[in-house]
Amino acid sequence: MPMADTLSPPPTAKQKAIVEAHGISKQFGDLEVLTNIDFSLAPSEVVCVIGPSGSGKSTLLRCLAFLEPYDHGSVYINGKLLGYEDRSGKRVRTSEKRVDEVRAPVGMVFQHFHLWPHRTALENVTEALRLVNGLSRGDAEAEGMAMLEQVGLAERAGHFPESLSGGQKQRVAIARALAMRPRVMFFDEPTSALDPELVGEVLDVMKKLAADGMTMVIVTHEMGFAAKVADRVIFMDQGSVVESSPPATLFRHPKSERLQQFLNTWRERHID
Amino acid sequence: MFEILLNHYPVLLKGLTTTLVVSLSAIALGLVLGVLLAFGLTSQYHLVRWPCGLYRSFWRGTPILLQLLLVYYLLPEIGIEIAPISAAILALTLNTAAFQAEIFRSGISHIPAGQIEAARMAGISAWQTRRRIIMPQVFRLTLPPLTNEIITILKNSSLISVIAVTELMRVSEQIASRTFQPLETYLAAALLYLAVNLVLARISAYLERRMTGGLATE
Ligand SMILES: Nc1ncnc2c1ncn2[C@@H]1O[C@H](COP(=O)(O)OP(=O)(O)OP(=O)(O)O)[C@@H](O)[C@H]1O
Ligand SMILES: [Mg+2]
Repeated sequence: MPMADTLSPPPTAKQKAIVEAHGISKQFGDLEVLTNIDFSLAPSEVVCVIGPSGSGKSTLLRCLAFLEPYDHGSVYINGKLLGYEDRSGKRVRTSEKRVDEVRAPVGMVFQHFHLWPHRTALENVTEALRLVNGLSRGDAEAEGMAMLEQVGLAERAGHFPESLSGGQKQRVAIARALAMRPRVMFFDEPTSALDPELVGEVLDVMKKLAADGMTMVIVTHEMGFAAKVADRVIFMDQGSVVESSPPATLFRHPKSERLQQFLNTWRERHID
Repeated sequence: MFEILLNHYPVLLKGLTTTLVVSLSAIALGLVLGVLLAFGLTSQYHLVRWPCGLYRSFWRGTPILLQLLLVYYLLPEIGIEIAPISAAILALTLNTAAFQAEIFRSGISHIPAGQIEAARMAGISAWQTRRRIIMPQVFRLTLPPLTNEIITILKNSSLISVIAVTELMRVSEQIASRTFQPLETYLAAALLYLAVNLVLARISAYLERRMTGGLATE
C-alpha cells in the first residue's frame, strides 16, 4: 500500500491537460510494473500506446483510471488529483465516491468488452444514464438509441450480448462509455479479442471519434491504425516510456534499439 | 395410509401449514441475511470478511438440532421471551443464511471482474453495481443450489418439533401415538413433504427455463 509520498505540485495551467501523470510507479508484490512514468494528454489528442507483452501498457491505463491504485506519483484528471488526497501532510486514499467524481470524465473500453450479459444492448447503454444521471426510462432510451446509432447498431438495440458478434459487442461497449459524455476515452486493446474480419468495424468507429475531436488513449497492436490516427505514439518497455513522438517520427526513425527491435519483429510477423 | 390422510386431514393440514410458514419465513429472511453476508464474504476489507467467515463456519459446522436448542434455551437466558415458533424461525433463518451466503458468494465470484470494472467506470456506485449488475446474474446462476437449500430447510424444519412447535412432524407423531398406526401415519407425512418439495422443484425448473436469456458466457 502507498506511502507517505509528498504530493506533487498540481499540473501547470499553461496548457490544460485532461489527463496528467507525474512520476507514477506501480508494483505487484516484488514486481515493478511501472517505473516513474510521466504522461500528459491535451484536449482532442489521440495517443496510441504500443510495446511488447508485459511491458505495462494495460497497467498504465488502469492506473490512469484508478482501476489499479498507483503506488507513487500523481494522476490528475482535469486538474484534480485522482485516488488520493492530502490529509494533514499525509497522502491517503479518497473515498470510492470521490474517485467516481474525479474520473467521471473518463470512459473506458476493455479488450473483452465486459458487457453485462443480462441486459440488452440498449440496456447496457442506458443503465448508467438511469442509475447515475437519474434519467427517466424514456429519456435514457432516447439517449441510448442515439448512442447505438452512432456506432451503427440501432437495429440491434433489443439483442442480448450473447447474440452479438465480437465487433458488435465492442461497439456496444463504446456506445455504453460514450453515453456518459466522457471527455476522454481509454481503450485497452479494443480489437485484440476480435476475429480479423471484425477489427475494421471497431477501428472505423474509433476513427470517427478521433475525427470528431474525442481525446483518446489507445493501447493497441494495430500499427497501421496508430500510424494513421494517432497524434502521438508512446512506446513502452519494461514499465517505462522509452519513446514518445508523432507516429511519422516514431515509426520511421526509431531512436532506441528496443523500439527498432520491436518494430522489426512486428514487420516480420506481418509481412506474410 | 390414505385412511389416515382422510381421517386426520384437518390436523395434518394445520401441521403442514406451520411447516410451510416456518420454512418459507426462514428461507425469505435467510435470503436477505444471506445476501448481506455474501457481500461481507466478498468484501475487499479483511475486517468485514473475517466475522462473516466466522459466522458461516459456525452455522455450517454445527448440527442444526443443536442450533435449534441453543437458540431456544439461550434467548430466555438473555431475557428475550419468544414463542417456540419464533425461536424456530430464528434458528432456521440463522442456519440457512450461512448456507445461502456461501451459495451467493460462489455465484458472485463467478461474475467476471471486468463487468464490475465497467460498471465502476460508468460511474455506477459499488452498491448499485451489486444490486443491478451482480445480483440479478447471481440469482440466475445459483437457482439450482438455492432450490436445494430451500428443500433442505423444508425437510430440516421437521426438527423443530423438539422445541414443541406443532408442525407436520409433531402432528404426525401425535396421530401415530393415538391411532397406533405409526407406519401409515409417517408414510402419509412423507407424502405431504414430498408433494411440497416436488412443487418447489417444478417452480424452480420453470424459472430456470424462463431465465436462460442473457447469461454470462464469458
Ligand atoms: N493484477 C496483477 N497482479 C500481478 N501481476 C500483474 C497484475 N497485472 C499485471 N501484472 C503483471 O504486470 C506486468 C505488466 O502487465 P500489463 O498487463 O500491464 O502488460 P501489457 O503491456 O498490457 O501486456 P499485454 O500486451 O500482454 O496486454 C506483467 O508482468 C504482468 O504479469
Ligand atoms: Mg495489456
